[in-house]
Amino acid sequence: MSSKDSSGMLNFLSLDTVEALFSDIPKNSRTDGLKIGHGIEENDLLLQAAAVSSKNHASGCINFLGNGAYRRIIPSVVDTVVSMGEFQTAYTPYQPEISQGMLQALFEYQSVISDLTAMDVTNSSMYDGPTALGEAARMAYRCSNGDEILIPSIMYRNRLSVIENYLAGLPVKMVPYRIDPSTGQIDMQDIEAKITDHTFGIVAENPSSLGVIDPNVMKIASIKKNALLITYYDPVSLGILKPPGEYGTDIAVGEGQQLGIHLNLGGPYLGLFSFANEYLRKSPGRIMGQTTDSQGRRAFVMTLQTREQHIRRDRAMSNICSNQALMAVAALSYLATVGPGGLRSVAARTFSNSKLLVNSFERAKIGKFGMKGIPFSDVLINLQLDEKALSSRLHDSCIAGGIAASRILTTDAKGGYFFSVTESTTHENIQSLINAVGGN
Amino acid sequence: MEFRQARYAERMLKEYSSGSSFFLHQDEIPDWIPAEIRRSSLILPDVSEYDVIRHFTRLSQMNYSVDTGLYPLGSCTMKFNPKYADKIASMPEFSEMHPLADESLVQGSLQVMYELQEMLKEISHMDEVSLQPPAGAHGEFTGIRIVKKYFQDAGAADVRDEILIPDSAHGTNPASAAMGGFKTIEIPSNSNGTVDVEALKAALSERTAALMITNPNTLGIFETEIEEIARLVHEAGAFLYYDGANFNAILGKTAPGKMGFDITHFNLHKTFATPHGGGGPGAGPVGVRGKLAEYLPVPLVRYRDGKYMLDGSLKHSIGKVSAYFGNFGILLRAWAYIKRNGSEGLENVSETAVLNTNYLAKKLASTYLIPKGKLKKHEVVVSSENTGRRALDIAKYLLDEGIHPPTVYFPLTVHEAMMIEVTESASRDDIDTFAEALIRAASEDPEKLKKLPQNTAVGRVDEVKAARDLKLKW
Repeated sequence: MSSKDSSGMLNFLSLDTVEALFSDIPKNSRTDGLKIGHGIEENDLLLQAAAVSSKNHASGCINFLGNGAYRRIIPSVVDTVVSMGEFQTAYTPYQPEISQGMLQALFEYQSVISDLTAMDVTNSSMYDGPTALGEAARMAYRCSNGDEILIPSIMYRNRLSVIENYLAGLPVKMVPYRIDPSTGQIDMQDIEAKITDHTFGIVAENPSSLGVIDPNVMKIASIKKNALLITYYDPVSLGILKPPGEYGTDIAVGEGQQLGIHLNLGGPYLGLFSFANEYLRKSPGRIMGQTTDSQGRRAFVMTLQTREQHIRRDRAMSNICSNQALMAVAALSYLATVGPGGLRSVAARTFSNSKLLVNSFERAKIGKFGMKGIPFSDVLINLQLDEKALSSRLHDSCIAGGIAASRILTTDAKGGYFFSVTESTTHENIQSLINAVGGN
Repeated sequence: MEFRQARYAERMLKEYSSGSSFFLHQDEIPDWIPAEIRRSSLILPDVSEYDVIRHFTRLSQMNYSVDTGLYPLGSCTMKFNPKYADKIASMPEFSEMHPLADESLVQGSLQVMYELQEMLKEISHMDEVSLQPPAGAHGEFTGIRIVKKYFQDAGAADVRDEILIPDSAHGTNPASAAMGGFKTIEIPSNSNGTVDVEALKAALSERTAALMITNPNTLGIFETEIEEIARLVHEAGAFLYYDGANFNAILGKTAPGKMGFDITHFNLHKTFATPHGGGGPGAGPVGVRGKLAEYLPVPLVRYRDGKYMLDGSLKHSIGKVSAYFGNFGILLRAWAYIKRNGSEGLENVSETAVLNTNYLAKKLASTYLIPKGKLKKHEVVVSSENTGRRALDIAKYLLDEGIHPPTVYFPLTVHEAMMIEVTESASRDDIDTFAEALIRAASEDPEKLKKLPQNTAVGRVDEVKAARDLKLKW
């Protein structure tokens, strides 16, 4: 603010100094200013940021990291759309008449994700995949009876930990069911035995946390009793695979990062959250609806807000307020840009690359894929190398990847290392990996 | 101001027929994928790049934003989002880092997180900070989980099952407490609009786990009895939780730790100027003091022997509250903002924000009822009840003037409330223009007000119809 402005305003308030405006803070609670250093010029900040960023070395390396976050091809239009100041610097569209742009975009996002998953309703976003799963587990508890939720015996530890936190406030028990390490898929006998009248929810992952497509998820609806089936899916795989809504899923959740969102060391990402119509009023998060304005023109508005915290307070369906709206716009513009054919080829090339990776390891006789199931992005390979030796070979060739399964999974039933592929992985990348791991 | 928002009858994406321009050279579905797991059809919009850009450009022109003008939503702190922060966030060396990358490959990103942790500690006088919660409400939930786990470890979780919350609190507070499995008890305000200390004393007991408050509160009033409140809460064996939504009022003037708070969350998308994105992403780091440090989500970032590293070893950690380290892209922008402003810059932020608020309050005082205390902090709540006009109608009048209205009908303790926060990103001219519009609205024909807005992309939206004839997808 200009000093002319501030002295004029102080005059108007009949005050000598701005300090008088803080006279209501008790003396003992006053602090003596901040000690975080002096401000710096913009140019110095940019130079400093560039210097700090140059300490990151992973960007130039070949990437085989995945397990929940993937380096996919992002069409340039997506970055342009999410950089538009009118979207980026807007707040939640509480005043619909002046916020139709964001409202329509989020309505369209709800529509495309509902179409992609074949689910009835999609909310306008959750924080990320695991938190969406936590909210889904809570929602299932509200929608059914019982106090037990079934979860896979093998899953990512971070995902499990997030659900545990979400469920900690409820009187419920998490019951693991067996994932068969030889197939990477659900042990149907075991899960069937564990579904009881007390089961309110079943968490099923497709692909499983061992990385393979699991057709058994499609058989759960017929044995689920009172429980809600919560399917954790991979949105890109749905370019080819049967969508969760076609096999009796009640709540479908997943990580939307793959849909046009940069890796950004883990966030901001996008929690995809869809469900069957009958559970609508028990669902968390913001939802946009179509209506008309005073002239009868089509218009959009936030609706069903009585489920939310600012109205329902302690009886709200969730505490969520800020969500990931801009990331939902990224996902929408991504899906619109690649179209149905594009998403199909992205999924197809991912499948082909994972097959090529397995074949290359096995042909070179340095690694084995030990499961019957078909891998999608995350390929678990058993190697003769220990973690240290592998890591040093990869490091020498500037390859990021080869995460030991024991580091990220809840149960280390398989051993092995993950190498993750996407449509951006090239044949040369895979050859470089084989050479590096083989010590050539 | 003469204002006309763009008005397009913009088609839905699925109504475009231009066809996608995206392609990969290989696009056949591999034949070894069994038919029974394939989908039979896939319906998505199929749009060329030029139409995607035109669609979203037209939508953007029908969307108000901070880049468009004043956005004085109370408790939302819609300040200007500096562009240098976006520039830094788009550096590929930051934006392309994978969260599972080896520490040695992402030292730069870890440095940013470490420095941000340290700066937030200094700003809040907390002992340890986790950057993991992706939003303010999630920071609250994280704090609540910490309280719960602490009392579980102390064998007292069954007894300490109540969280006290003032009636003027943000709705997220009771919602977060309930999500964590606590009962919530509402504490009434006194005639000054602050916590009624006698009522607090009566409510505190061996069942109390925490008191959650924001200071200054949602009326923009500083809780002057905060030291006594802290003493009473601690004496009862409970924790004091600071809702950081209103931090923009106190930078460098006081700090939650100094006032006696045990847990604090920050809203980086408010105080530290990161863009709100039309509803998110935000970032809601959590700071704690003393013995609670061992309970934070893991990992924290440490600096040892010249290297930044992830520390997952906290003894009592509640584990993970989101997938990775939080919304790094937002953390990075907040880091840039704090560095750029420095100590004096941030102190100046609060001084200007508070000066602007008090200036506006005095301008409005002869037209609107301003309940409670005279000295305001970051925001002021006015009531339109005395004008005979509804807050909602006044809001629509402002829309027609090209100014985003304040938060309306909150806090719930004030009738026909308009909660106004102009922040420091407003000149005297901006505030004068805004105040004049508000004053004109108060004498505008009430029947005419009901027909507004007319200058926006659409007229008054039928919310009742939206809720009755639900249409939630195309």
